[in-house]
Amino acid sequence: MPNAILDPTGGAGYAPAAAGPGQTGSLVLAPRRRGLTGAKVGLLVNTKQNADIFLDEVGKLLVERHGAAGILARTKAAFAQPAPECLLKELTTECDVVVTGIGDCGSCSASAVADGVALEGRGTPAAVICSDAFTGSADAIAGLRGAPGYQYATTPHPVAALTPAQVRERALAVLPDVVALLTDPR
Amino acid sequence: MPGSGKLDPDLAQQAIEYCYQQDWSDGLPLVPVSQPLLDRFLAQTGRAPQEIIGSLEATGRDCTVELAAINAAMAGCRPEYFPVVLAAFEALMLDRAARGGGWQSTSGPAPLIVVNGPVRGELGLNAGGGVFGPGFRPNATVARSIGLIVRNVFGVKPQVLEQATQGLPGRWSICLAENEEESPWEPLSVEAGQPPGDSAVSAALLRTCEFVDNRHTQDPEQVLWDFADTISRTGALIFRDASCGVVFCPEHAQLLAAAGFSKAGVKDWLVEHCGRTGAELRRAGKDGVNENNVRFAGDTAAPGSGNSFSRILPSRQHVPIVVAGARNAAISMVVRVFGLWSGTAVGVESRAGAWAGQAAPEG
Repeated sequence: MPNAILDPTGGAGYAPAAAGPGQTGSLVLAPRRRGLTGAKVGLLVNTKQNADIFLDEVGKLLVERHGAAGILARTKAAFAQPAPECLLKELTTECDVVVTGIGDCGSCSASAVADGVALEGRGTPAAVICSDAFTGSADAIAGLRGAPGYQYATTPHPVAALTPAQVRERALAVLPDVVALLTDPR
Repeated sequence: MPGSGKLDPDLAQQAIEYCYQQDWSDGLPLVPVSQPLLDRFLAQTGRAPQEIIGSLEATGRDCTVELAAINAAMAGCRPEYFPVVLAAFEALMLDRAARGGGWQSTSGPAPLIVVNGPVRGELGLNAGGGVFGPGFRPNATVARSIGLIVRNVFGVKPQVLEQATQGLPGRWSICLAENEEESPWEPLSVEAGQPPGDSAVSAALLRTCEFVDNRHTQDPEQVLWDFADTISRTGALIFRDASCGVVFCPEHAQLLAAAGFSKAGVKDWLVEHCGRTGAELRRAGKDGVNENNVRFAGDTAAPGSGNSFSRILPSRQHVPIVVAGARNAAISMVVRVFGLWSGTAVGVESRAGAWAGQAAPEG
C-alpha cells in the first residue's frame, strides 16, 4: 500500500454552492426596498484614484433622480483590506443602502466585494462597483466568502486616468445597474 | 538512496502528474509529498505542526508549520532547508504589503530573500557568481516554497485572486546568500538587529530588479550617480516616496568602501541625490501628489517649479543594501522595493547537530 500524496492546501478548496432566488451560496441577501425614495445612502470610498469623485456623483444622482434622502460618505483607510467592523457597523446602522468601490486593483476589487458580502450579511443592501478588468478576482472572493455568484456593477477599465468629467459620465452610465442591485420593484 | 536502476520513473511521473491535476503547481513539476518526507521536515524544527505562522485576511486563510513544510517539500527543498523557509516566511510576514494586498497586486511583486550567517555554507546557498540564479538547489527551492505557500495555503492563484498585469521575471526565485566574505560592510542581518555570526533571513517584496553596469570609472561619486539615474527613473514612481535598494557586487562595494563610504554613507548619498526635477516629473505626468501621496498629472506649472528637485527616498530604511555576486565585474542590481523593507531580520532556528553530517539520510 503506497503512502498517500499529501494535500498542500490543507483541504481548503473553493466550495461554491448552487444559488437560489435572493440567495448566493450560503449568503442570504439583505431584503430589498421597492425603490430608493427616502433612503439614506452610504458611500464607502476605498481611496483608489477617482473613487471619491465616482461615488460622490453616484450619491448625488441617487438623490436627484431616485429620491434618496441623504448621503453618508465614509472612506476606508486601507483599500487592500476589508473594511473594519466599526465602519461596517456605522454604515449599516445609519444607512438603508450602501454603494462601495471602486474595485480597480487586485486587492481592492476583492476587498470591495468582501465588504459588499459583509454588508449584506448585516442586513443592508449593497452595490459594489468594480472595473470590468477585475471580475476574476471579484468573483473568486465572493466564492471564498460564501457568496458565489454575488452580483456587482462594473464600469469599463481604466478608471484611474480619467478626468473628473469622464468619471461623472461613468457614474451616470452605471447608475441603472446600481439602482437595480439595491432595489426589488416587485 | 538506491541506484537509478532501482527507481521507478513511471511511478514518479504518475505522481507528478497527479499533483498537476490537483492544480497545486506553479507550472513546474512538484515533488509529491508523503508522510515520511513531511516527518523529516517537521523533525528540523521545534515548532508545533499546527502553529500558525502567517495569515491572509483577504482570503481568511492561515498557514501552519505543517502546511509550510508540505509546500517546501513539494518545492524541492531538502528537510534541512526548512528552518530557512520558516525564517523567510516569517520575515516576509513582517512586510506590511505581504500581509495586505501585495500577493493580489497588479504589480505582481516578487519576494527578495536574503540569507546571512553560517547556514549559508552549511546548506550550500549561493552567495557568489550568478546569485540571482539559477543553478543552486537551496536558493531555488527556498524561494519557490514561498510561492507555493501563497498559491496553495493562502489560495492566491494567477488570474484569479492574483491580478498581476504582467508579473515579473524572478517571482518565486530570488533567494540570495549575502557575500559576507567579500563585503566591506556589516551583514544585512546585523544591520537588522541580529547578533554577528548568527544565521538569519531578511525579506521584502520587490517590483523589479535592474542592473547597473559601471566598469568605467574609479570615482565613487560617478559610480553612485550611475545608480542614482536608475533609481530615479520616472517609470517606477507611483507615490511621492519610493523605496529602492541595491545588491552591490563585491567590486562596487569595495570601491565605495575604499573611498571611505560606510554602508550608511552610501544610503545617505542616495537619499540626497535620487530624485527628479519638477519639469522631468511633469513630462511624465507625475508632478502632482494627492492627499494619499499618489502621483498624478498636474494641471498647471507653478512658476519656478520646473527647476525644483524632489527627492524620492525619505530615509536610510528606504535604501536596503546587500553585497552578493562574483568579484569578476562591476555589475550590481538595483532592487525596487514594493512597499517598505521591515528592517528586521529573523533568526534561523538551529537544532543542535541537525546540520552536521546531513548527507542523504533519506531512503
